[in-house]
Amino acid sequence: MPEPSDALLAVRAAEGDEGAFEVLVRRHSAQLLRLATRLLGSRTDAEDAVQDAFVSAWRRIPEFRGDAAFATWMYRIVTNRCLNLLRARRPTQDLGSVPEPSAPEHASSPVRAAESTAAVEALMRAMDGLTPEQRACWVLRELHALPYEEIAAVVGISHQAVRGRVFRARRYLTEAMGAWR
Amino acid sequence: MALGEHDDPILPCGRALSSVWEESEAEEAVEAGLAGGPAGDGALDVGPQAGPDAGPQGGPHAARCPYCQEALAGLGVLDRYVREARQTAGAAGRDEEDRSTERFTARVMDLVRTELRPGRTLPLGDPEDDAWITEAAAAKSFRAAAETLPDVQAGSCRVTLLAPRGPMKVAIELAAGYAWPLPALADRVRERVRAAARDGIGLEVEEVDVTVVDLVEDAAEGETGGSGGHPEAREEGRS
Repeated sequence: MPEPSDALLAVRAAEGDEGAFEVLVRRHSAQLLRLATRLLGSRTDAEDAVQDAFVSAWRRIPEFRGDAAFATWMYRIVTNRCLNLLRARRPTQDLGSVPEPSAPEHASSPVRAAESTAAVEALMRAMDGLTPEQRACWVLRELHALPYEEIAAVVGISHQAVRGRVFRARRYLTEAMGAWR
Repeated sequence: MALGEHDDPILPCGRALSSVWEESEAEEAVEAGLAGGPAGDGALDVGPQAGPDAGPQGGPHAARCPYCQEALAGLGVLDRYVREARQTAGAAGRDEEDRSTERFTARVMDLVRTELRPGRTLPLGDPEDDAWITEAAAAKSFRAAAETLPDVQAGSCRVTLLAPRGPMKVAIELAAGYAWPLPALADRVRERVRAAARDGIGLEVEEVDVTVVDLVEDAAEGETGGSGGHPEAREEGRS
């Protein structure tokens, strides 16, 4: 028999069964921590954000109607929390005013650049040049492979606005990463 | 292509950068068999520039056009970094990730347990006994009683008092294996819930509403010790 579904566990959690909620936390935390780490650029900040998101979900789950999947609902809570933290972290920057990230000395040789950790670090640095909204849409699309419709539901903007943000993020990042070629 | 330029530059061939990129994304999705998946919706709506009257069209143009090729090469560089980032995320090692998930789950649950929602209290025994059980605790024991049956998972469990000091009505929802004959399942669940109430808590349950909300795969034959695939038969064989 398969493990109990998220929907069944969410109903139990809504009725006060903290054991069912614990199974949901265990099942979804790795993925949500990856999302928050990619959005915030720090594992420590990500753990705080996802912890707060789960506590908030526990409080609100009696109102969770199961119209969306539990995972989508959690993506939404975590993304909103991270967006608030990113917006508070710095003033909103106009994309045009963001300086291009420069390649660090050690990474400018093709050999080093080919190493995955260096490549990923470079990408994460480049992502700092995106606005919080662009970053959220792009990470959900490219690193979590969510459909545009679901990203629209998670971020709370229109499908077309998601496409626009993903496009602008791609454009900025191609430019930034192109400096590496 | 400097960053200060117009949001969506038009390539010298007349096509917008966004439509060239989105088209390639939609094609990749089709090639990967993901038409209904993550990128599949790209094929339905690739923006106004890609409409039938928008001039140069489709893969054949992009395949021949040096400007489109250059635009796609730029996206290709980014895609290689993205693939690295996706793979690196899974590279930490299964055991390390499991340990880290356990630590994190424990940390979250420590906080959750400071805000439990036990629900209403249900009186136990005679009025002078002054003994109570919370609704959440009663529901937990009824769900556990139902789940002693094979291929049964309990969901919602609502407990209502029919009179100020009982008896109770229990409404329980289940996911059950396909092989269960539902009337027999409902009878078994009623027996188990009544027994748990009487023997475990000391409460009379007058009515048990059983609703099967989902049917799920049964346990693999091998797990049942060869006693056959029928859950009722297996259950009888065990008791």
